[in-house]
Amino acid sequence: MTRRLSVAVALVGLGIAGYLTVAHYAGDAPVCAIAHGCATVQKSAYADLAGVPVALLGLLGYAAILGSLAGDGERARSVTAVLAFSGFGLSAWLTWIEVGELHAICIWCVGSALCMTALAGLSAVRLA
Amino acid sequence: MSSAPRRLLAVLGASAVLVAAGIAVSASGGTTPADPPAVPASTLFRGIPERDGVLGDPSAPLTLTEYVDLQCPICAVASKQTLPWLVENYVRTGKAKLELRTLHFIGPDSERAARVAAGAERQGRLWPFVEAFYAAQGGENAGYVTDGFMRSVSKAAGVDAGKALAAADGEFALRRLERANADATRLRVNSTPTFTVAKGDGAPKVIGSGVLAPEALAKALR
Repeated sequence: MTRRLSVAVALVGLGIAGYLTVAHYAGDAPVCAIAHGCATVQKSAYADLAGVPVALLGLLGYAAILGSLAGDGERARSVTAVLAFSGFGLSAWLTWIEVGELHAICIWCVGSALCMTALAGLSAVRLA
Repeated sequence: MSSAPRRLLAVLGASAVLVAAGIAVSASGGTTPADPPAVPASTLFRGIPERDGVLGDPSAPLTLTEYVDLQCPICAVASKQTLPWLVENYVRTGKAKLELRTLHFIGPDSERAARVAAGAERQGRLWPFVEAFYAAQGGENAGYVTDGFMRSVSKAAGVDAGKALAAADGEFALRRLERANADATRLRVNSTPTFTVAKGDGAPKVIGSGVLAPEALAKALR
């Protein structure tokens, strides 16, 4: 059950990250419910990590999580957990940057952060 | 220690290392660059007359006015997606002239940028200045609007940076800011970019905000 739920959440995250990646490479501002928040975040110095768009990293992260969810052994569960906990930690850091430094909220990023939080929780349950 | 807690500790440890590495890279890249960026030369308005900030034929029957904040990222997107179409189909054909109102509500850098833009307007280069500014635009209130940045933008726009920066502190720049605020208040413009249109000597009307599709603009301009 937790594995199926994880797959569903990861698919939602994959969709969000995919949209943000397309918007990034197309040079478009993401559709945003909160003023200019998404465009501000997307154009900030934090939108790239060592030259790689954070949106693309998220896309790869969700794809890797989905890949790890193909198995249900101990090793697969551990890999899922490492990816989900790392994604959760980085999402928390980036959310803090949005609020504390950029003073802008990107609703898509918040959605992705919630997906990572849920995946981290589900991964912890699967590890226990 | 049994295997489950050991596994959890190992997972947490590996995750912590990955997160710490990611934060270290992200934080090191999150600083404002010390050197102003190289700004591409402005080309969109080449060959179009500009006088007193009005771009195009002064006797054109339509007057399109764009309300912007130079720090606004959507304004930069509109400048790349909407303006080229407008310039090609309405300004170069003599159907419309363009005016600009630079607001400054995002932060202090917006005011500085708007003031230097007024200095560019005095040199008949407001629109190229704004285009070059958008091409190098940074994050809102990220502190990139330095004199060095303004010089780079001015150079790309064919503006005398020294004169523009000097004019930024003058009476003309102040009057331009006040005019923009007064017009925005009168028309209830409360977001950027917002476009208004006036037909002949008629009163301007708001036709929309954000990145407007050419079809929507064409309909409003009929």
